[in-house]
Parts: sequence; C-alpha cells; structure tokens
Amino acid sequence: MNSPIMTGEGLKKYFPAKGGVIKAVDEVDFEIQKGEVLGVVGESGSGKTTLGNMIMGVYPPTSGQIIFNGKPLPSRAKDRPVQMKREIQMVFQNPASSLNPKRSVKQALEVPLKVNRGGQSVRQRVYELLELVELPVEYADRYPEELGGGEKQLVAIARALATNPSLVVLDEPTSALDVSIQAKIINVLMRLKDKLGLTYVFITHNLSLMRNVSDRVMIMYLGKVREVAATEEFFRNPLHPYTRMLLSSIPVVTDAEEAAKPEKIQSMGEIAGALDLPPGCSFNPRCSHVMDVCKTVDPPLLEVAPQHWCDCHLYPKEFKPTPTA
Amino acid sequence: MPLLEVKDLRVNYRVYEGTLKVLNGVNISLEKGEKVGIIGESACGKTTTVKSVMRLLASNAKIAGGEVRYAGEDVLTMAKGRLRDLRRKKMSMIFQDPSAALNPVFTIRQQLYDIIKFSADTRLSKEETHEGALKYLKEAALPEPERILDSYPFQLSGGMKQRVSIAMALVSANELLIADEPGTSLDVTIEDQIMRLLKKIVEEKEISVILITHALGTVKNFVDRIYVMYAGTIVEEGPTKEVFNNPQHPYTQMLIKAVPKLTGGGVPEGILGQVPSYLTPPSGCRFVTRCPYRMEVCDQVPRMYKAGTDQKAACFLYDEGHRSK
Repeated sequence: MNSPIMTGEGLKKYFPAKGGVIKAVDEVDFEIQKGEVLGVVGESGSGKTTLGNMIMGVYPPTSGQIIFNGKPLPSRAKDRPVQMKREIQMVFQNPASSLNPKRSVKQALEVPLKVNRGGQSVRQRVYELLELVELPVEYADRYPEELGGGEKQLVAIARALATNPSLVVLDEPTSALDVSIQAKIINVLMRLKDKLGLTYVFITHNLSLMRNVSDRVMIMYLGKVREVAATEEFFRNPLHPYTRMLLSSIPVVTDAEEAAKPEKIQSMGEIAGALDLPPGCSFNPRCSHVMDVCKTVDPPLLEVAPQHWCDCHLYPKEFKPTPTA
Repeated sequence: MPLLEVKDLRVNYRVYEGTLKVLNGVNISLEKGEKVGIIGESACGKTTTVKSVMRLLASNAKIAGGEVRYAGEDVLTMAKGRLRDLRRKKMSMIFQDPSAALNPVFTIRQQLYDIIKFSADTRLSKEETHEGALKYLKEAALPEPERILDSYPFQLSGGMKQRVSIAMALVSANELLIADEPGTSLDVTIEDQIMRLLKKIVEEKEISVILITHALGTVKNFVDRIYVMYAGTIVEEGPTKEVFNNPQHPYTQMLIKAVPKLTGGGVPEGILGQVPSYLTPPSGCRFVTRCPYRMEVCDQVPRMYKAGTDQKAACFLYDEGHRSK
C-alpha cells in the first residue's frame, strides 16, 4: 500500500453544552491516501463538518491527533507553520457567504497570494488561477453579485488553490447548486485533481455523487464512522443497516438505479439529539435489524471483509485474510 | 372541467434595472385528484407560477396576461372575500423551508389553532379547536401531539417542523395542495419519510397536488404527470414515466443526464451556460442560448408539438416542417 498523506488517530471533539457534552466526533480514525478522493457521507448532525474543521485546525480536537505527511499536525491553525497551512485548504458549501461581497474576484484571490508570497507577480497568478478553474480572465474585475452561483463556487475553488495545496477539504461544495451546475463544478474539480495531483476530502450527503467521484466512501452517523470501503465494494455490498437505509432513501431517476439499491429498508425515526445519545449502538432506535445486544454494547469498527470496515453487531467476526502458502 | 387551469400566464417583476419578464405564457392544467410535478432549475419560474395560483405574488410582480381558473372561476380577478374562501377551504401550500414558514415567536398550538379557527365556518369552542389540532397532527404522523403543540418551532427538528407545516396545510387543502420543494431542506432519509407520508395522505383524501422540485428523483415517485419548466416557459409535458424514460425536449434530456447516477458511470457534463437574464430574454425559444440543436427557426417562439409517445414539447425539432435530422 502506498503511504497515506493524512491519518487521524482516535479523534474526538466534544463541545460543552447546557446539560452535558455534545460528542460531535467520537473516536474517529481515518486514513487518506495521496491522490485519492475520500467521500465523507452522513446526515446533518453526523459530525462530517466538525471533522473537516479539525483537519483545517479550526477546532482543536478534544483528544487524538492528525498526522500529515508523516508529521503530527498542530491542532490549532495558528500553531501551524505557514508552509503547512499552505498545503491544506478548504472550500465551503455556500459561495455566496464565503466570498466577501465587497471584494472583486481579483481581490479575493490576492489575499492568499499576498500572505504566501510566491515568486511571480500577483496579477499573473490571479489570471493563472482563473484559467485553472476554467473561468474567463475578465472575471478578475467582477464582484460576487455579478456571478452565478456556480461561478462563485469556482472562484472559491480558485482561492483555495492559490497556495498550491496538496489536500483540499471540500465541504458540500455543490449542495447549494442546481444539478446542471453541480455537474460542471464536479468536472472542473476532477480535472484539477488529475492536473495538480490533489487529494480531496469530499464532505457530502449525496451518495449518488460519491458513487461517481470518490475512491473510498466513509459513512458517519452521530460522530462515529459506521462503514468505510472502496467505492466499488461499498455500493456492491453495503453492510451497515444505516448505509442501506441511506441508500434506499435516495430518490433516483432511472429504473437501473432503482434495481441497484439494496432491498428496501424504510427510513424510520430521526437522528438522535447529540446530547442524549442512545446507549449501546447509537443507531439502534432507527435500526431495522436491532438486537438486544445493540442496546447495551457499542460495536467496534471491524474489518469485516477485505478493506471493508463496519461497526455493527451483525458482523461480529473480524475478517482474517486466508494465508497464502 | 379541470380543477385548475393556468392559461398563457405572463408575469413580470419590476426591479430597479427594468422589467423582468419571468413567466412567458405558462399553460398548466390539473384534474381533480391528479398529482402533477413542475421541475426545472432554480429561477425558472416554478414558484412564481404557483404563487400566481395562490395569488401570493410579491408586490412588485405584475400579471401581464393570461388567466388562472380554479374550478372555472377566475382566481386573478375574483373578489378578496371569494379568494379568502378558496384559501380557507380549498387550497393551501407547503413551503420549502419550514423554519421560515413557521412563526418563531408563537407556539405551534397558537399557530395551528389560528388556522383551524380561520378555516371553520362557525365559531369553534376551545375543545373543538383542540380536537381539530390533534386530528391534523395525527394525520401528519407526529408523535406526542401535546408536546408538539406546546413547542416553539426552534424546539423541533427540521423533519418535525415540516410535518407541522403539512398538518397546517391540510387544514385548508381539501382540494388542492401546492408543495414547493417540501423535502429539499431535509436529509434524504427524512425527505423519504415526508414524501411517503404526503403521498399517502393525498391519495387517501383525493387531494390534487402540484409538487415543485428540482430533485428529479423525488418527483418521479410521486406524480402522475410532469411539466418541465425552463426560463418561464413550459418546455415539455407528459406522463411521468415517459418524461423520465424518453425525454423529448433537449432541455429535459440534458437535465436528466446531469443527475449523477447511483449506478456510476462518471459525472456527466451538465448543461453549459445558465438561465438567460429575464431583463432581456431571447425573443424566440428561451433555451436557444444553451441548446446544442440550435436552428435558424429558433428565434421564433415554438408552440407545443406532439413528441415521443405521449408527450408535448415546445421545440421546433418536433415540427414536421423544420425537422432537419
């Protein structure tokens, strides 16, 4: 196996709240290979964005650490050397609020360039960035209000790329956009990845999209990783009941897709409040396969098939590769 | 006679820059008990169309032509009192964002009671009002109705709030329910629950529905017939199955193709360009700026031609005289 660009070890993020603690992220381990797209999928409140924010150094984890390129990453962004901050960038969900409306595209792109002084002229680099995201260079002098939603998101992507990062956290980059525009943005992102050798952590709730862009999918629910597998394997053989519920809830367009869904598990209940998590496996109140053990014991994340991890009592045995003599 | 008939509806909005010619001759008809969907990208006039039906347009909107007939009566010119009767007894609307549709400073009890009293013919006693409230909450499958009634909107989850607004709409929607993106702001699993509930209710009570959405998969499982809208015009209409399996208008074809598929196959290219400005829309077919099959004749306005097995499409490709294939 090639070396991971980033690993997270036992990451926890607890927020103190009135009446207890909110376990936004609870014991999450992950590994991102260089050049891959890791899809982090889950409902609202599952901890996806908190995870992204910890990678960015917005919140220091309560415990655990992130290793980046073999070195531990200081938990707060302000403690990270500029060189390290340059390497990790983020694109937010809503470009209308992540771009300053009073700044032209050029001014927005200049900020990271001035902070991270490179050799070439700033103006030259602004044009280069716009070309990179397939926007006309005339856009440099426009203001966000003069751009469409998709174009704004492309500017936000250009801004993230200004410092030549190697890893980009994409936090729902297309969920505020129409499907026709989404397709355009995703295509630009995938071309950029190949051209610049980027690694993406793609946070989304859209599994259909992940089927088409990610190399591996990681499902989160109430702060925990529930299932991780390579995309092909994941969609061919979804194991966790939560994953299957998610998959069978997706509204699809073609009959072929309908056939590709796992057997219908009707979605029931809602994600529990993060303050009073159900004991045992926190998915148990919504699970169609709930057993007695689920209400008391929280299952560990096990490798239940080759390179396929899942935390569910339905799969009690850890997969052991058969030794080849 | 159809329950609802929208004929050649034209709506303009006056803005600082001039006049936005948004609806450009929209025709829709709906039989009693029928469920139709309106699909299209954002800013295509879907919401403007249904707001005209409810006569809820913003004050800068002007009806520039056409008519809306509800069971034969002209809604656009009817007296205020008659309109009030319609909204009280016949039709109602569910909005996209339940947190914006509910008043944050009143409890659900106060808001629901108000609507029940408003729609009743006689003065209701406290007990009758309360009984009514319980009945509608039950129809919307809300557990613990007493607790819900005493809650403020912020104390409920997104899915619960949307169920409450469904309950509120059901009070008045005895004949027609307009649902404007009812599941868009919710998680897929919750959206799936809401859409199943809504379908069950309207089928049981034989309520006609207009469902607006840009999520194509959602509409597919819900409605009998589909209108595809682009830039203020209906570009295609037909039975749901036909429209999805055999789309005729180039816009419909591209829109369906742009949805990432659960079966994989990569991310489609999407539709280049964007919806034209309503200040100076193309004088002929409004899709001309993005259409790959552009012909000379497209600078005229196409009428609805018979297309495919059971559809109609506003495209010159289906006019015998102009077919160049």
